[in-house]
Amino acid sequence: MYLGISAYNHQSAAALINEEGELINYYREEQLSRIKGDNSFPKNSIKKLFETNSLKTDDIKNVIFYEKPLSAYLNPLKVAAKNLPESLNLISHQLKNFKKTSLFCFVDLAKAYPGLEQKLLYIDHHLSHTLSALAYAESFKNICSVVADGFGDRSTTSISFVNNPNQIKELWSCDYPFSLGLFYSAITDFLGFAINEGEYKVMGLAAFGIKDIDFYSKMNKLIFWDKNEKTIKMDLSYFEYHKNIYNSFSIKLEELFGSSRNPLENLDVNNNEFQRYANIAFAAQEVLTNILKELFRHAHHLTGCSKFLFSGGVALNSASLRSIASLSFVEKIYIPPSPGDSGAAIGAAYFGFIKNNKNNSFKRINNLYPTIFNSKSQYKKTIKIVSDKFEYLSKNMEESFLLASELIKEGATIGTLISNAETGPRALGNRSLICNGQNLEAVSYLNTVIKDRSPFRPTAPAMLESTAKKYFIIDDALLNSYFSMSSTVVLKENSPIKNYPIIHIDGTARLQIVEPNSTLDKILLYLRKYDIEIIANSSLNISGDPTCYDLIDGLMVCELSPLKYLLTDYGLLKKLN
Amino acid sequence: MEKKESAANVLYETAFAEYGSALEMLAACKKAIKVREVLGFFEHARDEYIHTKKFLSILKKQGINLSNKIARKYKFVHIGALKKGYVSDKGYLIETKRMKDFVAYIYTNELIAEDEFSKILKYFEDDKESTDTIHSIMKDELRHHGMARKYFLKYYPFIQPYQLMIYKYREYLHNKGRKFYFKNFQILEKLFTPIYFSVSLFVSLPLRLLNQKEFSRINKNLMDISSKSLI
Repeated sequence: MYLGISAYNHQSAAALINEEGELINYYREEQLSRIKGDNSFPKNSIKKLFETNSLKTDDIKNVIFYEKPLSAYLNPLKVAAKNLPESLNLISHQLKNFKKTSLFCFVDLAKAYPGLEQKLLYIDHHLSHTLSALAYAESFKNICSVVADGFGDRSTTSISFVNNPNQIKELWSCDYPFSLGLFYSAITDFLGFAINEGEYKVMGLAAFGIKDIDFYSKMNKLIFWDKNEKTIKMDLSYFEYHKNIYNSFSIKLEELFGSSRNPLENLDVNNNEFQRYANIAFAAQEVLTNILKELFRHAHHLTGCSKFLFSGGVALNSASLRSIASLSFVEKIYIPPSPGDSGAAIGAAYFGFIKNNKNNSFKRINNLYPTIFNSKSQYKKTIKIVSDKFEYLSKNMEESFLLASELIKEGATIGTLISNAETGPRALGNRSLICNGQNLEAVSYLNTVIKDRSPFRPTAPAMLESTAKKYFIIDDALLNSYFSMSSTVVLKENSPIKNYPIIHIDGTARLQIVEPNSTLDKILLYLRKYDIEIIANSSLNISGDPTCYDLIDGLMVCELSPLKYLLTDYGLLKKLN
Repeated sequence: MEKKESAANVLYETAFAEYGSALEMLAACKKAIKVREVLGFFEHARDEYIHTKKFLSILKKQGINLSNKIARKYKFVHIGALKKGYVSDKGYLIETKRMKDFVAYIYTNELIAEDEFSKILKYFEDDKESTDTIHSIMKDELRHHGMARKYFLKYYPFIQPYQLMIYKYREYLHNKGRKFYFKNFQILEKLFTPIYFSVSLFVSLPLRLLNQKEFSRINKNLMDISSKSLI
């Protein structure tokens, strides 16, 4: 068994891959600790992996950490040292918090599982990302990997050629502090959203923007692709993330675009400044997409490949993928279900498998629900909560699905907490809030009342592949990504569903094609007789919390929100008044 | 610090404290075995989540009057509960304390919280809506205190009132100690800042000489780089 770990920077996670290269279990720390964006050493995740799979330390051949800790520690310090005296605070902060950095992975592992630290290996951060994407690809040879994130352990963006899983040669990289991810995070901060949490809100907001040439050309001066030097360049005088722990952008950015948004103010379409913020988001999204296109052109030029792996936090930017896929040389882009740091734990574990795989046989990971949840363990515990606050509409699963679909037809929202949980940040039906995607009132209720989100945020549609092909322009290059909701699609011209509430204001949608025999597939089967072929799908959580993991989390969402129905492994629950 | 900012700061920290409690109670709910305990902790967690939301909504109301620069300091990011120490990185209390001590902790801390909230009220003397909200939270805290007491009487009938008093004063002292430590820590931080800065400057010199090209992996097989190396 190979244990992959990601921690200390963004979301922590632990993944377990067996001798056959199968991902048998995976946990994100935030799912278990219930703290959104938990980046601490994933002790709960590792413990859960050990308990669920009845492991002993001897069963683990290698523990693979997803970055080179000393590089990750020294690189930002080196850049900060060049920016004295403004960066004194940052350097001093880094020195004081030495014990909270990934350099302490060895110690933390030794404390939690003595003996396991002797099996610890460290691999290049972008290699972890590449392998996390490769594990989900259909082809393991002659493929190009593009990684773009905030910062790993040395570079922020890289291009590698995967000759085969044992030969992955890096051909190009862009060094910190020039970073697409940190640029987008600084704009996220400027627009009043939390860094590492609010980037997808910027993406949603961008759809409301109008192309403002002035804003676009200003934004393009902040970050751009240097055609001569073939690299990403930035005007760092507008940013402070490389020299300040408190500010990601400088006062110059406010002089350029006007004041930043007060994060404590509500942002809705009726807000006076809404259009300005939307135009800024639009410009940032445009600039990011254009640089990514240049990056893929360069990747094609360097490798001659037409098949790509795309990973790193920037690959979560689903709105940019359509444009990249439209490049004439792109045949296929594989995006893992969790392209960010948490998913890199899978890549790290996969490294262990590749290195020890003597017969060079590789199988694609196609399990989108690797987070094992044993509902039996909580069923008895929650009897009192359920009997006091809920009633079973049915305990028979087939009947529960039937009843759930009838309720959806009536306009209700259903929470699902079924079997194992999803890999990535997107709920695909097992930890979802679902309703009729064709019903404006139902979608609006799910979005703004149950989830308490800003009305400008879109809700994703889930449907069968045949339905998707009927209404949307499906790009074959991105077909795999639609199954994990990783890319947006655009409506076909004169599509009859253009006024459906799951269509964003710019005519796009973050499509999910449902897997055969999945939870949503079953529900869609029952909904067919009511002419409902589109489900609106959002993650089962309340605003700001991680997506639910277990039954207690699901029951808590019902308690804290107006959600009435919860479809579980033991039947359909209805909240009592 | 201006009064408006002080109010925002108090609300921000209190929201984190309540969020930390919600997480503690949820963890206790998952760890508990008796179905009544599971329900009790579940309801307690729900209340604490609601309190967090209520404090954040008052903060939002207050935040409109703050400058953007100050308001950005009070953006509620959940991971702050860990970073600020409202939740220990060693694990939740239910994992480190015995159930009896954990309930004793709730018993006293709910009382302390109620007392602390009465001090917050002074910031919102002119705001009836916010005052009413805080009063309703204070009532909840007293109810939780009462529930913890009931638990003691039910499961530990031989416990003497003076033992509860000891628990209470021990927590009061812990709490005072924490505050004393925090205040002194802040003073020490200020005192040590010039030293930190000097060390940082000193460290910066060799750091500037680091050759970044040595980190370059261009044209290297990433799979062949030593996986024992930290760099």
